[in-house]
Amino acid sequence: MSGVGPVEPGEGTHAWDTVEPAPPLLPGTPRERLRSLYARHRRAALASATAVALVACGSYLFATRPHDPPPPEAPNPSQAVSITYLGQEGTPAGAPSRSFSFAVKVTAQDGPTITVVRISQPYASLSLTSVPRPPFRTKPGFGHKIVVTMHVTECANVPSNAALPFLDVTLRNTRAIEDHSFILGERYAHDLSGALQVACSNDSRSSPKR
Amino acid sequence: MPGKGLLIVRQRSLIAITAALAAGALTLTACGSRDEDGGGSDSNGGGTTVVIGVDAPLTGDLSALGLGIKNSVDLAAKTANKEKTVDGVTFKVEALDDQAQPSSGQQNATKLVADKDVLGVVGPLNSSVAESMQKVFDDAKLVEVSPANTNPALTQGTKWNGGEKARPYKSYFRTATTDAIQGPFAAQYVFNDAKKKSVYVIDDKKTYGAGLAATFTEEFKKLGGKVVGTQHIDPDTKDFSAVATQVKSSGADVVYYGGEYPQAGPLSKQIKAAGAKIPLVGGDGIYSADFIKLAGASGTGDLATSVGAPVEDLPSAKEFVSAYKAAGYKEAYEAYGGYSYDSAWAIIEAVKKVVEDNDGKLPDDARAKVTEAMQGVTFDGVTGKVAFDEFGDATNKQLTVYSVEGGTWKPVKSGTYEG
Repeated sequence: MSGVGPVEPGEGTHAWDTVEPAPPLLPGTPRERLRSLYARHRRAALASATAVALVACGSYLFATRPHDPPPPEAPNPSQAVSITYLGQEGTPAGAPSRSFSFAVKVTAQDGPTITVVRISQPYASLSLTSVPRPPFRTKPGFGHKIVVTMHVTECANVPSNAALPFLDVTLRNTRAIEDHSFILGERYAHDLSGALQVACSNDSRSSPKR
Repeated sequence: MPGKGLLIVRQRSLIAITAALAAGALTLTACGSRDEDGGGSDSNGGGTTVVIGVDAPLTGDLSALGLGIKNSVDLAAKTANKEKTVDGVTFKVEALDDQAQPSSGQQNATKLVADKDVLGVVGPLNSSVAESMQKVFDDAKLVEVSPANTNPALTQGTKWNGGEKARPYKSYFRTATTDAIQGPFAAQYVFNDAKKKSVYVIDDKKTYGAGLAATFTEEFKKLGGKVVGTQHIDPDTKDFSAVATQVKSSGADVVYYGGEYPQAGPLSKQIKAAGAKIPLVGGDGIYSADFIKLAGASGTGDLATSVGAPVEDLPSAKEFVSAYKAAGYKEAYEAYGGYSYDSAWAIIEAVKKVVEDNDGKLPDDARAKVTEAMQGVTFDGVTGKVAFDEFGDATNKQLTVYSVEGGTWKPVKSGTYEG
């Protein structure tokens, strides 16, 4: 036979194209293979494990690091302001007849600035102005003296003897704007009654001013 | 076979890696230890048990308010135990049901006095019940803090309205504002804001209801309002058709009721059914979700004053509201929840002061010392700054007017007494 062709297998020989199982790349069970792999790359594996542990720990510490407590939420403005009655005051020049004045102290607690938006009183027969005139901002911890002047518009319906009269004040801070009544107590009630009686007495058309 | 030099390099690497691992392990240990540092031990340390008594109506018509009181005190005790507010002391709560009856209240007071572990009591709800308990507690020097009593005489004596204020019992305190302010505040709102000029006044003849109606009436008249009729009702009945007819024929444009919601709800409903489409106004005794249920749809526009600012609006109350919810109580904290928590906390603070002043132990005369300490207690509570004046009244005197709108109480005006 001439030409190039496959050599005939002789005795004791195997045909070249017989399929034989390939020798295993790494002998043994998967566990053994892993052990063998680890043995060959021990340094790299240990270094990686350490790095992973350190990164994990670092991340944990970072994520759980103590945070500064969030700033406390601002209270409603009515919960952060007190208004106290100081006493009667001289009525400003130029005030209409049947007017009288008194002073209150507005004090805001520490915290966001509070603005006094409006001061009013609930009686239909009275009108009110104040110095300083709202709106004005309060300084935390500082007592602001406000002079309130009331003018009697109709003597027939004045609350001549109210036990707990109050001032209505509109307050605003970063949290809310709200109307709140400040009941100024017995001394204010007494002074208000006295001033109303003087303002509405027959012989006092020109004398309500003090 | 690897050479000797290679072996040395490999060993050095191993040492370095082992050291790194050890450092990592130590760091991880540190990771784990942070929380434990702040948490402290969970054991009670086997210290002293102090019992806070509760007296309130836990069954019957007023149980909605009473259970809110009980749960809120329970929450305060649990919080104090968890936070170890008083070192070596574990607080327990013993709640007794007075069914809104003075006689039951007095029996409960005697029972609480007999338990030597009780160093303070929160309650009761009703001023009439308080009257029956005050002396029993005072004789035993056992402090009592009510979150709900509003009758002025309890702290200022029976002649308070004549200007002769005299504290009858040193052991009685309250965190609620009194009717000396609540009645006039309601009158001012009704007359000036709601513009109602003629009122029909009804009360249930009880200490609270009659007292509140009186303070309202006095101020309403001073403002120029007219009282066109007055009537008392029997709180044991729910048929108010006769008085409803009288209200209708009086021409009143508002009804003021001194009493509590179990009667106020049906009364409101029957007045409207009689043809008088006018609002019913009451005090903190009707400020309950149950009033709205009882009054029905025609109760829309009815008004109530209640002690304090709306709890939900106070930043100081946020924690209480969420803790109450988390604790899973079945009943709502209702009108006096925040005040009950603060009342219990005032007792806890007083106990703390006594223990600290006695080298960490309770003294033999602990009750007397706790009562004494209560006068000086001051803290930022659920309802704001908590402290007591010379009569045992709360120094924080706030009130809110609520209106029934859309099936719920909506705050419409708040006021603070600054006198």
